Formats: sequence, structure tokens, C-alpha cells
Amino acid sequence: MKRQTFFAFAAPSITVMTLLMVIPLGMAIWLGMHFMTFDNILAPQFTGLDNYASVLSDARFWQSFQFTALYVVVMVPSWIILGFLMALVLDQVTGFIRGLYLSIYLLPFIIVPVVGAIMFKQLFEASGPMNYLYAEIFDARFRYNETTVKTLIMLYGVWYVTPFSLVVYFAGLQTLPGELLEAASIDGATSMQKIRHIVIPHVSSLTLFISLFSIMDAYRVFDSVFVFSELNPTYRANTLMTYTFQTGIQLERLGRANAMAIITVISIMIVLIPNLYLSYKEQMAER
Amino acid sequence: MGKVKHPVGRFFIYFGLTLFAIYSLFPVYWTALQSFKTFRDANSRTPLFFFQPTWENYSELWLRSVPEQNGELIAFFLIASVVVLLCLLLFAQYIPLRNSYIYLAVIIGFVFILWIIPRLVDTERFYDYFINTIIVTVGTITVSITIGCLAGYSLARYAGIAGVVILIAALAFRSLPRLAFILPYYWIGVFTGLSDTHFLVILTLVAVNQPFTIWMLRSFFMDVPKDLEESAMVDGANRLTAFTQVIVPIVWPGIISTALFSLLLAYNEFLLVRILTQSNWTLPVAISRYTGGEDPRHLTLAAAASISATVPLIFVILFFQKQLVKGLAAGAVKG
Repeated sequence: MKRQTFFAFAAPSITVMTLLMVIPLGMAIWLGMHFMTFDNILAPQFTGLDNYASVLSDARFWQSFQFTALYVVVMVPSWIILGFLMALVLDQVTGFIRGLYLSIYLLPFIIVPVVGAIMFKQLFEASGPMNYLYAEIFDARFRYNETTVKTLIMLYGVWYVTPFSLVVYFAGLQTLPGELLEAASIDGATSMQKIRHIVIPHVSSLTLFISLFSIMDAYRVFDSVFVFSELNPTYRANTLMTYTFQTGIQLERLGRANAMAIITVISIMIVLIPNLYLSYKEQMAER
Repeated sequence: MGKVKHPVGRFFIYFGLTLFAIYSLFPVYWTALQSFKTFRDANSRTPLFFFQPTWENYSELWLRSVPEQNGELIAFFLIASVVVLLCLLLFAQYIPLRNSYIYLAVIIGFVFILWIIPRLVDTERFYDYFINTIIVTVGTITVSITIGCLAGYSLARYAGIAGVVILIAALAFRSLPRLAFILPYYWIGVFTGLSDTHFLVILTLVAVNQPFTIWMLRSFFMDVPKDLEESAMVDGANRLTAFTQVIVPIVWPGIISTALFSLLLAYNEFLLVRILTQSNWTLPVAISRYTGGEDPRHLTLAAAASISATVPLIFVILFFQKQLVKGLAAGAVKG
């Protein structure tokens, strides 16, 4: 394909991405240098790097960062391990049963995240079964507090994202080299040995893919935290995204929120840049 | 992998599968139960699994006033026409007419039903939010798949370095937190006066989903051998005709997969719509209003609203499970 044709075909998409992604990102850096509320949004007051400095020295910002980091560290391994195990188990059945279970497992993944979180919350309402179970086990009333809200956010995270890694691993298992497994069986390898020495190496590229994408998705978690914590500061369950939202929309400090978003963008670069470099080399080699 | 044959092993396999299925389904099941309970039953001291079901939450959610006469007749007429349209869609290939005419007729039929409902019964705001969601979702899919196909195809065929740069830039943008774009969008909305319009929501949703869309579509276009459009072009077709007449029909299943993901992304989006609209909400934002309030009636209303928003997605799984799995796998293996 000629260069000209390429640009003619890609033009609409490139235009949209330039106008609505590249330029807004630049705008966010610029707007972050202003004192801006809903009242003076079209004539913000220039304050230089003040917003950036004050965000970096804001204790609540670092608290949000901590919880976001904790969320990433707990969630990513859970998604990978549980997804892989369930994919192995699902691979053991065939036909109608397989389709049925796969459909059931897909439901949390495609459900509206806000709605899924509300459904979780329903289980813990005064009349909900989890509330009842909690009272039976711990002999105390279930209350929303820092620990329970954070636990709920994590439980919901497992519920909502595991189907993604499950399906990806499941698809990967369908491409396993059959001869290699047969040869291993003839040599007397146990199932455990086969999983350890054939299956896990075979899906390692998928593991890399899942971990990279889930790190970045976990890093920007918003919807479930919004529903469970209702942005109530006593739960200390703010993530970087909810704290930015709260600063910008609830407290009307839009300039500061833009600065916060930019700092978040810069911090994710640590994970992102090596990944981008790898993809770049891969694409250059492929073309 | 070889299959486990030992009966104890088989038992644990089914046990594990069922346990995970319960974990996946139980919140949805319980919410569905709650949505059919009266206020008293929903707030009982112990969890209630058996009760006298009622439609009152749904009617309170969707209707401002219940029609005094002919209510059942109208409901029956509407449900019957939806069933007829769905059957037409499912069995289109057995009808001796060009399929595109049938699909067009079905679409017109659905639009007509959505148009006629508020004229037959007195609908609540929730119905408007439902319509908003449909407009935003359909608009986003149409625009993003159209421009995404053109870009995905050219990226699959062009070997220059510009293509790689665009792909990597798209990957970077896909990974960044949405708020870094959405806050400037809010400013743009105020500046241009487009705030609270479907137009702005659709355009920004297209933009934030474009990186994902072009990567996925590109992976499907890469699977098509180059000879196909080249032979069409030797026969005198230009590249655009070769693309629309030869390539698109082959990649159609892949396009459907990508469209499904666009559908989910637009239908599920909360943060962007929450910030860019003040009254023209879509369902996720409308439903979020039912949580956290002091009004005790919100418990069952939230349940009914949640189930209402989930039913269309259940149909998506039932009809398109294969395409969803295929799309996830394609994105993973090649993206």
C-alpha cells in the first residue's frame, strides 16, 4: 500500500485521535497550571506550577496512591491465578456444558460495572444474605468501615475481571501442541508436570499480556470504588481516579484535578514505557 | 490438555465449575429477587428467598402512572411485536427476500416501538435515559467501526514506519487513565456549548475507544491474504471498492466482534457520561443515583433498575457468546 493511500484511509481515525486525545492531553497539562472552578472555567487564573507542587505535597493524594498500589498488587495476581485455574478446569469439560459455564462466567465481565457493584452492595444490605452470613460467622453486625469497604472493592474486582483472564487463558489452552502433550504422557509425565513444563510456558506470552493490561486497568479503577465508598473520606478508600474526580467535580478545583490527572499519567509511564518499547520492536520486526 | 478420567477428579472439576458459577451469578440472582419484592419483603430481617413476587418496582421505575384501562392489552401488543421482530431477525436466512431488506424492516420496527411507547403510556424519566443509552451506543458503534475499519485495514497493509508509530501511540493512549482526557473534554464542552449533548458524548466515546478498536480490527484484517484485493484491483476495481466489496465481507465476523466490544464500552461507560452530561444521562449514571441516598425506597428501585439494564446484556451473551470469546482471544493473542 502506498503512503498516500494509507493516510487517506487512516485520516478520519487519526484526526479524531489527534483532536480528542493528543490535544486534550496537552490541554490537561496547561489547565493544570490554572486556578479554575466551575465559575471561572472560561477565564481561569494562571498560577504556574502551584497545583503540581501542592498535589505532590498533599497527604490525601499519597493515601489514594497507596490504596491504588495495594489494589494493583492484590488484584493482578488474583486475576492471573484464579483465571488460569478456572481455564484449566473449564478445559476439562466439552460441548454444551462448556458453553453453558462459559456464558455464566462471561456475565460479570460484560455487566455494567456500576450495576455490578450495586448488585454486590445489595448482598450486604440489612436484609441481604451476606449480611446475614456475616452476622452468623462474626457474631457482629455488618457495618461499612475502612476494612469492609476495601475488602468489598477487592472482592468485586475479582468478580468483575477474572472472566477476562479466564477467557484469554482458555483460548490459549485450545492452541496447545497436542503431540508434545502426548509425548509427555508416553514418557509418564504426571498432569502436574505437564502443566508445569508444557502449559505454563505455552501461555507465558498471554500471562505477560494479561498482567500488563490488568496493571493499567487496575491503576485507573473508578466505578466500583465510587459505588462502594460513595467517596466518603472516612473509609480512606479513595483511589487516584476517585480522588481526582472528587477534587475536580465535588470540590470544584478543576485546575488541581487536571494537574493530578497529569501526575497520574506520568506515574503510569514507569510500567508503560518498557511495554511500549517491546511492542515497538515487535511491530518493527513484523512489518 | 488430556482429560481427567478418575471419577473423584471429575467430581472436583464439576464442583469447582459450579462453585465459580455460583460466585458469578449469585449477586445477579439476589438482585433479581430483590427487584420483585414489595418494600416490606425487601427489608425483612432475614434474607427472603421465597415470597409473593410483584411488578410494582418495575412499574414505579418505568411508568409515571399505570394506565387505567387497556394496560394489559398494550403490554401484550408491545411484547408480541418485539417477539415477532426478534423471530424475523433469527430466521431471516430462511425467508426468500434479500436479508438487508429484512434487517432494515426490523430496525425500523424497533425504532417505531421505542417511539410509540411514550405515546401509549405515561413513561418515567428512566425511559428517557434508556433512549439516551440506545442513541449513544448506536452512534458510537456506527462512527467508531466505520473510521476504525478504514484505519485498521490501512494499518494492516501499510509497511511504513508511520503505521508503527500510530499503533504504538494508540497503545499508549489506550493505557492512560481516562480522567486525563475527560477533564479537558469538560472544558471543551463548556467552551463550545456542546456540554450535555449526545453529540459530544458520542464523539468523545469514539475517541477514547478508537485505539482499542483499530488494534482489534487490524488483527482481523491481517488474517486476510493480500492476493484477494490485489486480484480485484487487477480486474479494475480501485482500492476503496476492493475494500468494501471484497475485504469487508470476509472480515465481517471480526467486525461484529469488535462492534460488540464497542457496544459494551459505550453502554457501560460511567465516568465520561457522568462528567459530560447534566441531565441527558445514560443508564449507568441514572442507576448510580439510586445508591447511597437516604430514601429507603431506593433499595428495590436500584434492584429493578440494575436488572433492567442487565437484561439487554444477557441477550448479547446468548446471541454472541462465540464472537465475544473470539474477540477476547484475538485481542490477547495479537494485541
